[in-house]
Amino acid sequence: MRISVMSQMQRSFSIDLPSLIPLQLPSRRHVPHPTFWLIGFEAYLLSQTEKDGVDQMRGDELKKNALLARTLVRTTVARYQTNKEVDPRSLMFKKNVYGKPEVDWQNCKNCNHQPLHFNISHTDSLIACGVTVHVPVGIDVEDKERKIKHDVLAFAKRFYSADEVNFLATIPDPEAQRKEFIKLWTLKEAYVKALGKGFSAAPFNTFTIQSIPGTEEGYSLCKTSEVTADPLEETKKCNGEWKFAPLELADSHYAAVCIEDDQANEGAPMRVIVRKTIPFVEDQLISERIFL
Amino acid sequence: MASLSTTSLSFKAPSIQSTTTRIYQVLRKASSFQSISFGRFQSSKRLRLQISCAAKPETVQKVSDIVKEQLALSADTALTAESKFSALGADSLDTVEIVMALEEKFDISVEETDAQNITTIQEAADLIEDLVQKKPAACSIVELEKVMFYQRCISSLV
Repeated sequence: MRISVMSQMQRSFSIDLPSLIPLQLPSRRHVPHPTFWLIGFEAYLLSQTEKDGVDQMRGDELKKNALLARTLVRTTVARYQTNKEVDPRSLMFKKNVYGKPEVDWQNCKNCNHQPLHFNISHTDSLIACGVTVHVPVGIDVEDKERKIKHDVLAFAKRFYSADEVNFLATIPDPEAQRKEFIKLWTLKEAYVKALGKGFSAAPFNTFTIQSIPGTEEGYSLCKTSEVTADPLEETKKCNGEWKFAPLELADSHYAAVCIEDDQANEGAPMRVIVRKTIPFVEDQLISERIFL
Repeated sequence: MASLSTTSLSFKAPSIQSTTTRIYQVLRKASSFQSISFGRFQSSKRLRLQISCAAKPETVQKVSDIVKEQLALSADTALTAESKFSALGADSLDTVEIVMALEEKFDISVEETDAQNITTIQEAADLIEDLVQKKPAACSIVELEKVMFYQRCISSLV
């Protein structure tokens, strides 16, 4: 049985999300054989576009993953509806002008328009969906043990910013260096996904994500400006517009969540709630933490 | 309108051996061009070149091999030029690693914006060929201008 992990964030001062409404399969009581269960989901939950997307995947494992990802998104977003249960089937999705998936509230019958944002990321063995209220969110997960085929520093020099390369270069142990590289990848990827404008809007070498001195898990985003007349002087613009939460999931994955800090709540801490879920079957609270 | 193919070229004035040799050298360099045709030649200044640049099957095959290796696909996985990276299970980190491997293999440098726009094997192969051709192409155009100039001289003598 594939395990999915869901991650949900809430601003401290935003509207309280209602308690999760449990979902039940309409007619079955027991959970049938996993393969049939998945086939049942595909027929039951997904739109035609999503089914086509699943069919495009080459190989059974990838098809299952794609199916589970869509199932997780639909069921997760449906659970955060106020006032009444919403059939996850009735949710509609669209892509923004840059291709980022988002909920299409206008075309959804029986939905209340919610200021909900979501983003998903998956690896071979873990799918994560992040949900926020009011602010855009980006999430990325990577297997901790993922091997990089190229030399880590060469890779970083090619794609990361100069400061990040310098940071990685100071780590003597290659294994620790690889792990920090992956953590940094998830943070950068989460930012680009939260931005939602495609990768060309924020090439990886134009911004630095660095840890905030004095904090264990605080990260801030600094943008490297254009090359100035004096190549030695590289001005950096670090602002608090984007908040990061690095996580470890299921002991096997690094994850990073990035949200835009809207002006109203500038500086307020970010509360991150992590739940582990099998849609329709199981739901388990894993952690609830504050990130500054 | 003159049209050159890489396989044959003939001059009316056989006495200009050195020029002929020069032209063949140029054409050998430009052997990666599928076909070249010249627009109407008004003066020796601007030369309009039309080059068709569909990626060669060998390039597509090399890209497929790199993709298979990066994504750890079995050797008998059938990949077509239209195969999408995402459909093969590649995430963004895989795509970037594939681009790095292609840069090493073909000795090219891919802009980050181009790198992220590659979604299929065909697109990768087309971009590679485009970048590979850009390197000798500049020389060849200059050479070909000289060639056309010589040719005009020759035909005006005859």
